[in-house]
Amino acid sequence: MRRSPGTPRAVGLERPTTIEREGEIGVKRFVVLGIAMSFLVAACTGGSSDNNGGSSSSGGASGTVTIQFWHGQQQSAARALTDLVNEFNQTHKDVKVDVSSGGVTTDEMLPKVISSIAAGTYPDVVYLYGSWAANIAKSGKTVDLSSRLNEPGFNWDDFWDSSKQIVSPGGKVIGFPALIDNLSVIYNKKIFDDAGVPYPSADWTWDDFRTIAKELTDPAKHIYGVNYPVSGDLDTVWRFFPGLWQRGGQIISDDETQALFNSQAGVDNLTLWQQMATVDKSVFFDPNDSKAEPLFGSGHLAMYVSGPWEVQYLASTGIDWGDQVLPGYNGDHQTVSGPDNWVILNHDEARVNASIEFLKWLTAPEQELKWMMASASLPIRPSIMQLPDYQKFLDKYPGIEAMADNLQNAKNAMPTLTQWPRIVDALGQGISSVLLGKADPKTALDQAAQEADTLLAVPQ
Amino acid sequence: MRTAVSPPADALTSERVAQTVRSAERRRRREDNVHGWAFAGPSVVMVLGLSFIPMVWAFWLSLTNSDLVSGGHYIGFANYSALAKDPLLKKAFTNTLIFSVLYLPAGLLGGLLTAMMLNRRIRGIGFYRTAFLVPFIASSAAEGLLFGFIFDPDFGVVNSILGKVGIPPQRFLTDPSQALITLAIVYFWTQFGFNVVIYLAALQDIPQEVMEAAAIDGARGWATFRSIILPTIRPVTVFLVVWGLIDTFQFFDLVFTTTKGGPLYSTITLVYYIWELAFNFFTAGYGAAVAYVLFFSTLIAIIVGLVYARRRGMAL
Repeated sequence: MRRSPGTPRAVGLERPTTIEREGEIGVKRFVVLGIAMSFLVAACTGGSSDNNGGSSSSGGASGTVTIQFWHGQQQSAARALTDLVNEFNQTHKDVKVDVSSGGVTTDEMLPKVISSIAAGTYPDVVYLYGSWAANIAKSGKTVDLSSRLNEPGFNWDDFWDSSKQIVSPGGKVIGFPALIDNLSVIYNKKIFDDAGVPYPSADWTWDDFRTIAKELTDPAKHIYGVNYPVSGDLDTVWRFFPGLWQRGGQIISDDETQALFNSQAGVDNLTLWQQMATVDKSVFFDPNDSKAEPLFGSGHLAMYVSGPWEVQYLASTGIDWGDQVLPGYNGDHQTVSGPDNWVILNHDEARVNASIEFLKWLTAPEQELKWMMASASLPIRPSIMQLPDYQKFLDKYPGIEAMADNLQNAKNAMPTLTQWPRIVDALGQGISSVLLGKADPKTALDQAAQEADTLLAVPQ
Repeated sequence: MRTAVSPPADALTSERVAQTVRSAERRRRREDNVHGWAFAGPSVVMVLGLSFIPMVWAFWLSLTNSDLVSGGHYIGFANYSALAKDPLLKKAFTNTLIFSVLYLPAGLLGGLLTAMMLNRRIRGIGFYRTAFLVPFIASSAAEGLLFGFIFDPDFGVVNSILGKVGIPPQRFLTDPSQALITLAIVYFWTQFGFNVVIYLAALQDIPQEVMEAAAIDGARGWATFRSIILPTIRPVTVFLVVWGLIDTFQFFDLVFTTTKGGPLYSTITLVYYIWELAFNFFTAGYGAAVAYVLFFSTLIAIIVGLVYARRRGMAL
């Protein structure tokens, strides 16, 4: 899973999410026990109302509404959020926010929230990946803010388009944008210099990209040109979309009934990667999207297709790196963004209103900038880039400016559909099989599209 | 109207005595029951609460199209009839079976040989015995991480050793045809310590007199092993096979931390598939149906194993 600023990027620790899991009981037992426990608890609390969420519920003695806030963040990002919540609690007497990570990282937030909904102990505001939006919206516990977006404090126009799309599955606005990132190419300047290859320019093409990757690949020194995850999940799939969109392709049809990623644009796009992987052999196959980071950190990966969540890690390695927008096709350099959401879950009207009040405050530019300073995440509102203190943020994280500017290039959004996780799986396996030399692009994409069409044909 | 014949007095008394004895017996039994249940009660509640009720619940879930977030509704056995047409389930099932076949014999043999080596009195034997158990105790998430490095295609120890003996570098976890075998090797390293401990205990249970008698009868190494050691440890072997079956059928954590079922589903196992169905694909009802497939295949495998063992006279 793509890492968001919350997941720890501890200095010198590769694959921090895995290390973190070690602290819990074995993953298997955790899951099995978790499923068993959630069923049990649900069975025991079957008919009870939904209003007993946690120890503190709405309507305190003083008329203060208390809400539960699960952010899933770790370390400095978590501390920054706690500070912000304390500030909010001091300045807002009518709402009290109980802040916690939720006990899990953002990667595992969905199972946690599902269990808590079954048990009736779900939070009011929770951090959830954008790819889960449609499915959490089905829970019946989400709200629809679409009629209220013009109220003061929302400043809805001041969010990126892709964020707004992801937080509105099926036209229902289920919360506020929480985070946005995008893909760019991070490159190791030393490898370029050693090979005498000029750094990529802002107008580079996919053919340039392929040539450079091939030139910089050096099997003797174990240096790869570029990375590509072959786990077959969203990590694999979202790297495929920029090239598809640039060539004029679409993921699915506008009416969401048909897969279109197997168009000529898609085939051409995948053929390029296939040639790089199987002919040039310039691609590092990452089994789970966590090996490329240490590979780049140890100077064995020339170009790293990744995003802002790497910035803190890169600073800790001391590597001399630069970043550039994705290669383009006919001058179109659009990228893909992976927005995440603050989802509001409904207990009662008072608590929903309190959650809105809190999120309006939290996503206001001044507060956002404080959280960006701690988490090295990108501005979720374009207006943040106009704040006087924005320069301090850019100074603190060298290299992040290009990634923030690259948000302008995130023109299309991934679909928000309940079938999306399964479509991702079908497409991901198709892409991986092509890269690993087991299938040709056209056949693999056609087969994935056929599976997707079957999924899309089932009414939800 | 009274009958002239009444039972003799002594018969009456004996009847009464018998009755008294019976009721005392009943009372004692009742008290025993109360005491027994008082002691067993908490664990019965635990078993019912943590095993039985979730099982029943999961069965109900498998008859619905629930996604865990919204309730879902009853769809009869539709999930079960869909199972037959699911290519991914077939893949997960085959992988799990292959994995069991890869691990079980190796785990038993490796465990027994190591236990025999450790079954002697030499200096520092406690340390050696502990050393073999450590991987079993260590967290499998950490082991997944460790072996990710060891089997790294470019910088891993294994490829550099292979290179020294002239074997070209292997792709291991990124090669669909090698990933499952690699995971089985890692799993062997993490699990066979348990077999060692159990076999070691069994070996130490073999009476010294029997070994001495065999020696007097002229039995040497191989004959002793075949005629004395093997028959004695048979029940333990049966136990380890059953235990190993349950464990390998539920293989999940290493997959989760290393390959996530890939590349190309080559390491997708039943439990990983169930996890994916419930928490990634939002088809918890179908996932529960797959969980029941897992349950019954484990059950059948164990029953077949036990029946075979009983027939061969090595029952538990």
